[in-house]
Amino acid sequence: MNFLSLIWLIFLPVIAAIVIMLPVFPNHQVKIRRFAKWFAGLHFIYSLLFLLFFDTSMFGMSFEKELTFFGMTWLKTLGISAKFAVDGITLLLCVLTTFIVLITLFMSKMHIRTKHKLYYSMVFLLESAVLGIFCAKDMFLFFVFWELLLIPVYFIVAQWGNSEARSAATKFTVASFVANMFLFFGMLILYYYNFAVSNVLTANIESLNMDEKIYPMWFQITVFVNFLIGFILRIPLVPFHNWYPDIQSKSAAPVNILLAGLLSATGVYGVIRFNMQVFPEIFKLFAPALMVWGLVNILYSGALSVMQAGVKKMVAYSQIAATGFVLLGLASLNQTGFNGAVFMILACSIVYCALFVVISSVQFRTKTTYITALGGLGQVMPKCMYLALIICFAAIGIPFLMMFTPKLMVLAGAMLSNLDQQLLVKVSAAIGLVAMMVSAGYILYFFYKVFCSVLLEQWKGLKDLSPQETSVLSALCLVIVYFGINPMSVIQIYQSVSSIILDVLQV
Amino acid sequence: MSELVAAYLPEFIIFVFIIINLIFSLFAGTSAYRISKWTAMLGIILAIGSTIYLQIDPEVYAFDNMFLTNIYTVFFKILILISGFFLILLSRNMIREKRDRASEYFSVFLSGLLFAMCTVSSVNFVSLFVSLEALGLSCYLLLALNKNPNAKQLTFGYLVQGAVVSSLFLMGLSVVYGMCAQLDYTKASLCFSQNPSQILLTFALILMICTILFKLGLVPFSSWLPDTFEGANYPISAYMSCIPVLACFAALSRILMTFLSYTFTVKIVLACIAVLTILFGSLSAIRQENLKRLMAYSMSVQSGIMLLGLCVFSVYSLSSVLFYLFCYTVANIGAWAAIILLYNSAKLEKLEDLKGIWYHRPYYVMAFTIILIALAGVAPTCGFVAKLYVFSAVARSGFVFLPFLIIALVSSVIMIYGYWRIIRAMFRRIETEIVTDPRVISSKYILYACAIASVVICLFADKLVRLCQLVAYYM
Repeated sequence: MNFLSLIWLIFLPVIAAIVIMLPVFPNHQVKIRRFAKWFAGLHFIYSLLFLLFFDTSMFGMSFEKELTFFGMTWLKTLGISAKFAVDGITLLLCVLTTFIVLITLFMSKMHIRTKHKLYYSMVFLLESAVLGIFCAKDMFLFFVFWELLLIPVYFIVAQWGNSEARSAATKFTVASFVANMFLFFGMLILYYYNFAVSNVLTANIESLNMDEKIYPMWFQITVFVNFLIGFILRIPLVPFHNWYPDIQSKSAAPVNILLAGLLSATGVYGVIRFNMQVFPEIFKLFAPALMVWGLVNILYSGALSVMQAGVKKMVAYSQIAATGFVLLGLASLNQTGFNGAVFMILACSIVYCALFVVISSVQFRTKTTYITALGGLGQVMPKCMYLALIICFAAIGIPFLMMFTPKLMVLAGAMLSNLDQQLLVKVSAAIGLVAMMVSAGYILYFFYKVFCSVLLEQWKGLKDLSPQETSVLSALCLVIVYFGINPMSVIQIYQSVSSIILDVLQV
Repeated sequence: MSELVAAYLPEFIIFVFIIINLIFSLFAGTSAYRISKWTAMLGIILAIGSTIYLQIDPEVYAFDNMFLTNIYTVFFKILILISGFFLILLSRNMIREKRDRASEYFSVFLSGLLFAMCTVSSVNFVSLFVSLEALGLSCYLLLALNKNPNAKQLTFGYLVQGAVVSSLFLMGLSVVYGMCAQLDYTKASLCFSQNPSQILLTFALILMICTILFKLGLVPFSSWLPDTFEGANYPISAYMSCIPVLACFAALSRILMTFLSYTFTVKIVLACIAVLTILFGSLSAIRQENLKRLMAYSMSVQSGIMLLGLCVFSVYSLSSVLFYLFCYTVANIGAWAAIILLYNSAKLEKLEDLKGIWYHRPYYVMAFTIILIALAGVAPTCGFVAKLYVFSAVARSGFVFLPFLIIALVSSVIMIYGYWRIIRAMFRRIETEIVTDPRVISSKYILYACAIASVVICLFADKLVRLCQLVAYYM
């Protein structure tokens, strides 16, 4: 057990990034790629070991570890420490992160043709930032990783995307800095108000719990809203969603996989960790609004998804729609809904990752992502088509595939929710059910347009998937099918944690 | 006598080396520019050594209580001397072009350091005035080194405005002397608390503070800053953004903490000035095309943030400002090292010229990126911890300062975009032919050192925070 240290888990990718960047590391693309893949593979196995040794019956945080600098706590005088710990939810998210980075690196060979050193080190920096976000026990430490994430995202989008990627990346970065400003402001006033009340200078998330009796309502609402603005931009939710399809449609294919898998998970995690756990009372107050908001998300981006001319934008919008279900589940404030929502984050990341892997293979062969330029590819790429079919079915929510259980749980949770506005809740759940059916429409539309309709003349000579792509896609399909058949193996890992979170939130 | 030595030895060493350099300039001619450079550096090293070695007593006064040495002044003096050391290394290429004037340059440079150190130590209005004026004079002389007539015109504004604000200082000084018949800080502050016409005295003090605000480039007096920076030689601009800032913050925080800590109106006025500076500076910075002008606005914004920290008037906030100053100095010197490096190696001065530089010099660009991130106050660098510390000090002071905090946060986001433009330009995909000069070694190492330091300081921030709290406590 001693060899399992969260510090290593988080900072090994940084070390790998620095090693790749060093002048002594050979600037030879095969060597860089091989090193990166081996490292990511071992790192994934390392993260799996955490899962293996994780005690699922534990109610608190485990693997707690503090990063000290020659015996000194980081910023001890300000009450800020570099403590890391995981619970069931975050451990799953960590494993998800390392898995998606591994997938991305396997798919990078075909698309990344220049600046290998920068690319691979930025991917590892991104991985490190995401792991840090999930494991940080301290508010400001969380914020450090939250901001650190923006730098690699900017570079990997801007440097390897198409000609418009640079402006899209700048848009995302600027928007994120504005959102981070709200987050930072909320953190600052929370930090000091907590100090003023309890006379303990601390930024530890667990000790910041807001009690309604001590903290005035308006203060809690202010901080809550500030946090929410910071997180929903990253998820993204509807009025703030514009950057996401934008950078997805303009960046390189492996970057799509990485961003689809990781960005929205960090945002949702922020909502769970801060908005739900620190301000349970206010979350209860806002729950009906959030439920409606999730619903708007599902319907609006679902409708937008059908109208897109590019495949990447289409999938990106449908991912935003799917994240709406997460919000629906969180806002229903019961065990079923919450468990479904957490499972939905994982399912969303895996399934949309897989969809982007499919798109990446198609884009590599056809050099286009316009829906009018594609069609009938199933005739020349049968392997790709069959694997894509499984993934599309999973995205729709066909039983025995990964997305079915969470969608069902979320909708059941919403239906059974005990919120005060019963009519609203029931109507929302019903509309959500219909929306789930409608989502089948745009996913199948995508599948039909790419693989089924008439094969265009110029695509007749396309080759089917290479062994590497086949193995990546099969691995993803295997994951999708396995957790579709056996959802409890995931849910039991975070069951105890979710019961603690919901103890406070139960209506 | 021993007290005088204990208090004044570092300054005296610098003074001796100024004389040595002046003697060099009489007979050494063009050949000995290297000798005068090493002499100047030796002087600085000796001064640092003596500053550290002599710090035995908590407080030593000299020159009839006009001159104080304690941990607070030692902190600032060491910062000034170290940055002076790096600035000498950075001015290498400029001296190459003006070999005949090297000794003069170093004597003026060292006298600037000397008077900056005197400004830090002065606890009397007269000595403060004399040191500030002499610091200003050495800045004027350094600016005059640039022979370009256009540059002369640009820097002329600084000279004229500097003269005007000095007269404001004198006016305030005469009012204080007339009312209190005291110029010593401690005695005058007693008079302050007892005098019935406190408003007039406060007004006089604000007149005096104007000089310092002018040197820091804060809002009503910030118009000289970009022009002067553009007109000056690169190392001189770096000098102007570093040494006077350190000296003036030392003096400003001492005056504010001694005299004005109970006046609520002054707090609000200063906070307004700070916030307006940050807003104005960041809004101007995002439209600049010239790197030097951008750095000028950056200096203005950073001093604004530090002034906002000072307005809160507590030991905690003072320590946060000290921490910010330290991080600012590191990042600022690094940024200027990068800019000087780019200018010396390929004559790049505009943002457009930077396009595609990443393909030629990836490691410079990466180090410069880290430093810009530190200046912007973004996460894994010392700038973030500094910003967190200062803003948390402001948040701690209560709800009165919350509007100021919000404006400062908004404008610091705008400023992040200002720095981001440089990074974006450097990583552009356009390939340009850049002929680079390999003889720019010293600035390269300074650049790397500052980039690494700005990350390492973030990790070991606690040690520095404690040091700053100790220093602030002893002021």
